[in-house]
Amino acid sequence: MLRAALAALAVLAAAACGGGEPDGRLTVLAAASLTEVLPEVDPEPRYSFAGSDALATQIREGAPADVYIAASLRHPGELLAEGLIGQPTAFARNRLVIAVPSGNPASIKTARDIAKSGVRLVMAAPGVPAGDYARSALRALGEHAALENVVSFEDDVKGVVGKVALGEVDAGIVYATDIARIADVAETIEIPDWAQPSITYLGAVVADSPNGQRASEYIEHLLSGGAAALEAAGFRRP
Amino acid sequence: MRRALFPIGLAVSLALAFVFLTLPVAAVFLRASPVELVRQLGSELAVDAMLVTLQTSTIALALILVVGTPAAYALARWQFRGRSVVVALTELPLVLPPAVAGIGLLAALGTRGLLGGTLDAFGVRIPFTQAAVILAVTFVASPFYLRQALVALEALDPDVLDAARTLGASPARVFRRIVLPLSGGALGAGATLAWARGIGEFGATILFAGSLQGETQTLPLAIYAAFDLDRTVALALGALLIIISLAVLLTAKLLPSWTRSSLTSASSAARSTSM
Repeated sequence: MLRAALAALAVLAAAACGGGEPDGRLTVLAAASLTEVLPEVDPEPRYSFAGSDALATQIREGAPADVYIAASLRHPGELLAEGLIGQPTAFARNRLVIAVPSGNPASIKTARDIAKSGVRLVMAAPGVPAGDYARSALRALGEHAALENVVSFEDDVKGVVGKVALGEVDAGIVYATDIARIADVAETIEIPDWAQPSITYLGAVVADSPNGQRASEYIEHLLSGGAAALEAAGFRRP
Repeated sequence: MRRALFPIGLAVSLALAFVFLTLPVAAVFLRASPVELVRQLGSELAVDAMLVTLQTSTIALALILVVGTPAAYALARWQFRGRSVVVALTELPLVLPPAVAGIGLLAALGTRGLLGGTLDAFGVRIPFTQAAVILAVTFVASPFYLRQALVALEALDPDVLDAARTLGASPARVFRRIVLPLSGGALGAGATLAWARGIGEFGATILFAGSLQGETQTLPLAIYAAFDLDRTVALALGALLIIISLAVLLTAKLLPSWTRSSLTSASSAARSTSM
C-alpha cells in the first residue's frame, strides 16, 4: 500500500513538471478571436485560446507558457510592467461588427438598432478585450443604453459568436474575423468606421519560457510567413 | 370522485418529475444522429479530453483510495474530542461550490498562494498543469469516498475485529485480511461515486488548472470549449458522459448488495486465513 502511495505521488510530481518544457512543443496562450487562424499559421504549437484577460491571469499564476498573444494593448502592457513578458510586437488589427442570426429575428438594420427595446444582445464581459471594445463602440455610437439589452456577458468573444450561431439571441458584438465560420447561420451588420475602436493584436515571449528563441521566432513568423493566412482570415496589417 | 384526485395528483407529479429529469438527457441523444456522435468522438479535441480525463481521474482515485481508506478507518475506529468536527470538515467539499474550491486551491497552492513560495523553492509549480487537475479532482471527489467508507467501516462488527486481535493478528493484518474484504463492496461503490464526481469536475478545474487541450482540458471543459465552436462535438462528449454516468449509477447501486450477499463467505474466508 505504501508502495502504491509513493507511485501515485511520483506520477503526481511528474505531472506537475509537465508542460512548457524545453525542446517540447511551444505553448501559445492566445486571444480567443485567433482560435481558427493561428493553427493555420502554424499547426505545431499547443494552443490555449481564451479571453486575453484570463490568459494574463494564467501567466501571473505561473502557467507554463512560451508565447502570449492578446487582442488588447492593456493586458500585455500590464504584464510587461510586471516583468512577466518581453517587449510585445503588434502583428494584426481587427474591427467590430454586429452578428445577427440568419433571418435577423429582431430586424436590425443599422448598428444603432441593437439599442431598440426588446433586442436580446450578447457581448463579451467588461475586462475582456472584445467586451471593452464593444462598450467603446456603443459609446461612440451614442447608444450606451444598449447595455440594458444585454442578456449575457461572455468570458470571451467565441462565447458571443456561439450564442449568435445557436440563434438563442438577437445580436452579438463580435470581431469581423469571427463571421466567416458562422456565415451559414448568421448575418453581419456593419459598425461605421467613425465608431470603430482601434483593435491591435500583440504577441510577446513569456519571461519564464524555457524556449525564448523559438518563441520569438514564432512571433516573427506572424509578421512574415504567417501574415498571408492572417490576411486571408480578414485580419489587417498593424 | 374526490378520493380519486389524490392518486391522480401523485401520478401527475411523478410524470412531471420523470419527464423533467430525463428530457435533457434524452435531448442530447436526439439532437444528433448516433453515427455523427460516434464520429465526433474521434475528433482531436474529444480524444485529447478523454485521455486527460482518464489519466487525471485515475491518479486522483488512486490518491483517494490510498490515503482515504486508512483515514476513514482511523475515523471509524477512534473516538476523540472534535471527531465530529473533523468528519464534518472532510465532508465540506460535498456542499462547497466548486468555484470556491478552485479559488481556494489557487490561494493555497498557487504561485502567489500560501504554499506557493515553498513549492517554488522545490521547483514545483502546480497551477495550470495536469497536477492541478488531479488535485482539484481529488479535492472535490474525496468526500464521496470518505463518507461511504466511513459508513461501511463503522458498520463492521467490532467483536469480529477484536476476536482477530485476541487471536494474535496485528492491527495492520486485521485491516488487510478482515476489514478490507468485509467492506470491499461498499468501498468499491464509494470509489465509483468519487470517480464519477471526479470525471464531471468543472468549476475547480477551470479556475485552478485552466483549459489547455491535451494537458488540462478534461471532458467537461472540452464540452464548454466546444459549445461555442462546434456544438456536435459538445453533444457527443455529453452523450459519452451520460453513458458513463449511467454505468456508474448502476455499479454503485449493485456493488453494496454484492458485498451483503458475499458477507458470509468473506468473513468465513477471513476466519480461515487469520486463524
